[in-house]
Amino acid sequence: MNGFFAFLKKEFFELSRSGKLMILSFLFILFGIMNPAVAKITPWILEQSADTFKSQGLIIGEITVTAMDSWLQFVKNIPMAMIVMLIMFSGTFTGEYSKGTFIPIITKGLSRNSIVISKAVVMIVTWSIGFGLCFGITYGYTAYYWNNSVVNNIAFMAFCWWIMGIFLICVLTLFSAFSNSSPQVMAGVGGVYAVMYILGMFGKIKEYLPTFILNSSSLMTAQNKPSEYSTAIIITIALSVLSMLVSLPITHKRQL
Amino acid sequence: MNILELSHVSKHFGDKKVLQDVTFSVPEKCIFGFIGRNGAGKTTTMKSILGLIKIDSGEITICGDKVTYGQNLTNKHIGYLPDVPEFYSYMTACEYLRLCGDVTGMKSSDIKTRSDELLELVGLANEKHRIKGFSRGMKQRLGIAQALINRPKLLICDEPTSALDPVGRKEILDILSAAKEQSSVLFSTHILSDVEKICNHIALLENGNIVISGTIDEIKHMRSEPDIELFLQNPDDASKVVKAFPSAEMQEGKLIFKNASDNQAEQILSFVAVQHIPIIRFERHEPNLEDLFMEVIGK
Repeated sequence: MNGFFAFLKKEFFELSRSGKLMILSFLFILFGIMNPAVAKITPWILEQSADTFKSQGLIIGEITVTAMDSWLQFVKNIPMAMIVMLIMFSGTFTGEYSKGTFIPIITKGLSRNSIVISKAVVMIVTWSIGFGLCFGITYGYTAYYWNNSVVNNIAFMAFCWWIMGIFLICVLTLFSAFSNSSPQVMAGVGGVYAVMYILGMFGKIKEYLPTFILNSSSLMTAQNKPSEYSTAIIITIALSVLSMLVSLPITHKRQL
Repeated sequence: MNILELSHVSKHFGDKKVLQDVTFSVPEKCIFGFIGRNGAGKTTTMKSILGLIKIDSGEITICGDKVTYGQNLTNKHIGYLPDVPEFYSYMTACEYLRLCGDVTGMKSSDIKTRSDELLELVGLANEKHRIKGFSRGMKQRLGIAQALINRPKLLICDEPTSALDPVGRKEILDILSAAKEQSSVLFSTHILSDVEKICNHIALLENGNIVISGTIDEIKHMRSEPDIELFLQNPDDASKVVKAFPSAEMQEGKLIFKNASDNQAEQILSFVAVQHIPIIRFERHEPNLEDLFMEVIGK
């Protein structure tokens, strides 16, 4: 266990020294502020463009912005923050494999499981804190300007996005176990998402796919009930655990 | 007691046999020179010892414990310096040694004393910058320090001097000699003068086979007699000498008598004296590892 905590400490140290922590904190805070801010200034922007619209025959009436608009911005922006974070972490394993920085540590007796798990833990903690910040700031400002109670299932909707982040981190860990470069890892993660997206277009199967839990607007407007998401959530969690479990033996066999 | 034993180790990559029936052992408190050309299989042997490569057959034991591929348990006895050591560039030397100490489960106070001691030994005690700005030689020295942090019984260095300038090489050799007091050292190289300077045991790997192994004295005595080189003033006299001594070889204006005994040296000298053959130089060469190496690999 000593080795695991030592390596975990190194990972957090790296996050801070490499500047990733600063960039990600900035990004999550920025999106947190932007979500209500964009909603707030939308009427003003439309007012400014009213003349242009008028010349095209479009007349803009009075626009009422509610908490719903702020949360719709949230579900639009959080995937961008997630993608940036995944790109930043896509080289966390492959960079070390290609440089050979694992070799001195592994030859000191540190188990490969400790490496995989500590890296995954750091990614999950980073995502959780970043996501928490973004959600908290959006929630706070939205409550200040409008009334959050008009939006349904906010906490559950956020939980779904958080789970999706963890799922993609686990997929990233799996692809890192056998890929040689960060573009390969990103292609793998992107490929998995694309396959789920395409499968989701075909009938009933979409309710069993992890992508189904990102159907946030139906949740917020209460068209869907949280219980309808339970199967997809269980499947997402199961696939996350499976990705982690499969990545361990592959990492063991990887030649350094 | 032997710290490391390799017994009939074989390994192939595809069709290529990289190691064939490799057997040797490294005793306690010795500097073991592991010699071979580039591509002879030195790194493969070392990585097999570290459990980083799966061997096809044979057995490797370290301090009596069997090495298993993928498991790193026997590595607790080993400190390893790779040929091109790479560390976390955002750390300082001191921070890196702390990470290594923590990974091996050393006590915090022990890591502090040991790091100070080792940074002093490798000449990095006053280096407060991050590893990012380190030269190749500095990285090699830090590599030795990290390898020795947990007082391993065996220090494995993969060509630690190959890419260094003469000053850097001498420094590394001095550090390895000092390390012998606490650990056995297995060090691979193709620089034979380095081996002659510090090693007391050697093994020569050629095409995946151990062709010679033993103490440095044993090996040097394998070629008991030195070579003689005779430089003639008049090259036309060479044929006379070769006629009298058919073992002589003509090479670049000189005659070479391989493995010449004292008696033979005397005969050659008296022959040139009696025949009035004018000579420029008569030299006897003590055999060195390079001669032996060339002889063994047939060059």
